Amino acid sequence: MSTEHTSGKRGQLIRAFSSTRRRLGLTVGPSLVWLLLLLLAPLTFMVAVSFLQVNDAYQIIYQPTLANYGNLFAGPGPFWESSFFKSLVLSYELAFVTTVVCLVLAFPLAYLLARRGGRTFKFVIFLVLLPFFTMYLVRAYSWFLMFGSNGVINSTLVTLGVVSGPVHLFDFGKFAIVVGLTHAYFPYMLLSLYASLDGLDFSLVEAARDLGASRTETLRDIIVPLVLPGIISGSLFVFVPSLGAFITPRFLGQGKVLMIGQLIEQRIDSLYAINYGGAASMFIVVSIVVAFALAFRYVSIEDLGGF
Amino acid sequence: MAADHTDERSKRGGTDRRTFLKAAGATGAAGLAGVAGCLGGGGKQTINIYTWEEYANFKDQIENTLDIKLEITKGTSSAKMFSAFNSGQDAQYDIVIPNNNYIPKLLDADLIAPVKKDAVPNFGSLYGKFKEFANSQFAKGGTMYGIPIRFGWYGISYDTRAIPNPKHSYSELWNKDHKGNIVQYDNHFKAISATALYLGYTDAFKGDRVSLTDEQLKKCKQKLIDEKPLLEGYIAADPTYIKSFEQGNHTIGFSGRNEIVEMWSNGDDWVDYYVPEEGSLAWFEGAAVSKKSDNKELAWKVVNEYISPKIGAALAKAGYSPSCNPKTQQNLSKDENKLYGAIEPSRLDGFIPFKAIENEKKWVSAWEEVKTA
Amino acid sequence: MATETNTDATSAKTRTGGLLGVERTDALLRYGLYAVAGGLLVFLWIPLLVMVALSFMVNTSTLFPFKGVTLANYVATFADASLMRALLHSIEIATIAALIATVLGVLASFALARYDFPYKELYRTLGILPMVIPGVIMGIALLIYFRSLLSVTPGFWTVVVTHSVYGFPFVLLLVTARLYTFDRSLEEAARDLGADPLTTFRDVTFPILAPAIGAGFLFAWIRSFEDFIRAFFVKGTMNVLTTSMFSMIKYGTAPKMNAISSFIVFVIAVALVVAMNVGNVTEYVAGTEADE
Repeated sequence: MSTEHTSGKRGQLIRAFSSTRRRLGLTVGPSLVWLLLLLLAPLTFMVAVSFLQVNDAYQIIYQPTLANYGNLFAGPGPFWESSFFKSLVLSYELAFVTTVVCLVLAFPLAYLLARRGGRTFKFVIFLVLLPFFTMYLVRAYSWFLMFGSNGVINSTLVTLGVVSGPVHLFDFGKFAIVVGLTHAYFPYMLLSLYASLDGLDFSLVEAARDLGASRTETLRDIIVPLVLPGIISGSLFVFVPSLGAFITPRFLGQGKVLMIGQLIEQRIDSLYAINYGGAASMFIVVSIVVAFALAFRYVSIEDLGGF
Repeated sequence: MAADHTDERSKRGGTDRRTFLKAAGATGAAGLAGVAGCLGGGGKQTINIYTWEEYANFKDQIENTLDIKLEITKGTSSAKMFSAFNSGQDAQYDIVIPNNNYIPKLLDADLIAPVKKDAVPNFGSLYGKFKEFANSQFAKGGTMYGIPIRFGWYGISYDTRAIPNPKHSYSELWNKDHKGNIVQYDNHFKAISATALYLGYTDAFKGDRVSLTDEQLKKCKQKLIDEKPLLEGYIAADPTYIKSFEQGNHTIGFSGRNEIVEMWSNGDDWVDYYVPEEGSLAWFEGAAVSKKSDNKELAWKVVNEYISPKIGAALAKAGYSPSCNPKTQQNLSKDENKLYGAIEPSRLDGFIPFKAIENEKKWVSAWEEVKTA
Repeated sequence: MATETNTDATSAKTRTGGLLGVERTDALLRYGLYAVAGGLLVFLWIPLLVMVALSFMVNTSTLFPFKGVTLANYVATFADASLMRALLHSIEIATIAALIATVLGVLASFALARYDFPYKELYRTLGILPMVIPGVIMGIALLIYFRSLLSVTPGFWTVVVTHSVYGFPFVLLLVTARLYTFDRSLEEAARDLGADPLTTFRDVTFPILAPAIGAGFLFAWIRSFEDFIRAFFVKGTMNVLTTSMFSMIKYGTAPKMNAISSFIVFVIAVALVVAMNVGNVTEYVAGTEADE
């Protein structure tokens, strides 16, 4: 009714977008085009490249081949002894351990925050978010200073007399990497869990306790099922980036640990071996797709909101 | 800052836009002779260099001497420099200065232009050995394509307080006494080459390229895998190595000499360095001019500046590595000369220069296997 | 009734409390939770605090032996022209990329929150994807795409474009969340009072949405500013702050690294405090409804 009275350009504009289809076009259109061109197309191209041949100067020859995938597993021994396979397995291991550690550590904090709320909550969230917003590079670097046979951790322990010599655990290596990754992706898990726990009706918990359930039973039968979406989405947001981690293992592995992200980067950087890089990346992409698919069995995509 | 943007965009446009801008600029300068200063560099030619960090320290001096504009992009690895050139970025640069083993690679990929000897008079002052290298490793069909700038060599550095009397051999890197305190170089070329020299495969280094047989490569790989449990870690970057040393994270490692010279300059007198008796790898920087450069003559003039006695000396000081021009001694103090000044030419004979690798893919794979062992 | 509860309580005690009894265990658990929470915060903060401390020290690699306090590291850092140039690049790229991401994201949020269309879930997944893909994959895919397929030389604009894609999901999630809790009757009321759609948007919808849009922009901006791995691949030979810092570790001095890193922590702390108090960021971040 009001549009009929509006005249001129403004009215034309309003009338032009009065149909739902037009509005959809305006809202979805630009981002769809943008994402198709700059996300889907590159990924598709990379998939394509992994199936194409490449000459010695690493220029693409448009001839299909499965050789790139075969070459990934090439090596003196069977395929499970190839460096690619070992690196892939190691990456899965470290990503999985990081996810579990994040879950175990974040759950108590998220639970507390959900129950308390208020100003404490705001302050704690600030303290949690701030490291998260500092550059990833900065955080990885700060851990780099801490570890090492004579890094800050070890030298402090030795100076304080707690230990007699440097503790091997605090040297660079897998443990350091897990710590670094946990530190980096912890906020994702915390916020996911918190978002879920926040919607939890705690009177259910109290009811269960009143009815005689033990704490573990309450946890297992009441809390966890209700928080499952948060656990799943949090795990997804920790596992996937950890799998492809590059900076953290580079700084905290001191060259002794080679995760799949580093392997791919090395090949691309020193040789521009895009066939190898493409094929190797496919494994990570497929892992991500599978992880998502598994996650969606338990959680609808709407629940993935709020980080 | 806005000027940076324009340069970025014009670089992306490729040669055409750059040529156009230069033509426009040159016309403008000619037309307004005497008011050139007010144009703020519109008439000056720009030379783009892709090189190491310290080279940027002399930007102003060279700009003033040659009356040009210099755009310096700092790189951190020769491999990256090569891969950039190999993928189209050779159109963006006039000069690239990787390590010597990458010049033949650039040459084979037909990316660089021959040296204009008249523009590089300082070449005549270089050590005989480096002139030889320029005529062999940097040459094809009798034509020279690169100019050596600075050099350095690799060896074993150690903490004299922890290891007072090491054997001057690579074997110390496999010495169980130093378990947990050894650092190996984090690079396939250097680590495998060092192991090859340790195992006595000196013949592999005799040709144009380093070539290990599959059997030899396998043995090197196994040796490196055996070394892994003894290591504190693998380090390639200079500052990381120095930090690790100063922190006490390791007591012995395979490193370049310039890190140690830097530590000596910083007052760390407890660190020392030896050249292994099995042979030492030496690097030298090679300046090459892109085939796609529009200012090849001017580019070579810039290169000439970097090996001039004055700037060459300052460059040596900045990077803790001696210049390939012995005349730089004149501009360094006695102490400085000991660290990065002249060197007895006969010593150069013992060095094995970096070379391109025959079948590098196999080395990269072997290295990956060491890392994932 | 009371008897039954008592019996239950007793059996609960024997089942769970074991040796300690329900109340004691409750208390222990509660303090335990606090302890874990406290420990976690320490864990999150210690390395950063150490780094900030080292940035002010003469001895830049270790805390002991303590050699003294100095501002020289900061002076050297800010005098480094190329580092400052890289910082400027980062700021410019982040701003442009975040703007693109915000415009696209706000539009898309409306679609997701208010309309139904075929393949909606697929579109939503696509929208979230850039946030979840590991940086290495995204960086390499885009590098190959730009270099080998489109023959575009990587540089300033490739980074802008990459980051705009990377920042998009953050805007999308935040604005959609806000739109879900948006009271549409407000818009209806405006319409009933005679306002046309444009006026309604300008005077009713947008002001309510503004904090969420602002938060989305901020998040996208920060993600772009702090990103290393994607920029690393698609930046060509230009430098952004993160890549400069990375090469400082490889080929520079640690003191500058500590100083610039600490500076960044400080700036972001200030920005975050402002955002949290002005923009009600906490609610959107945690996905809860704002108190309206």
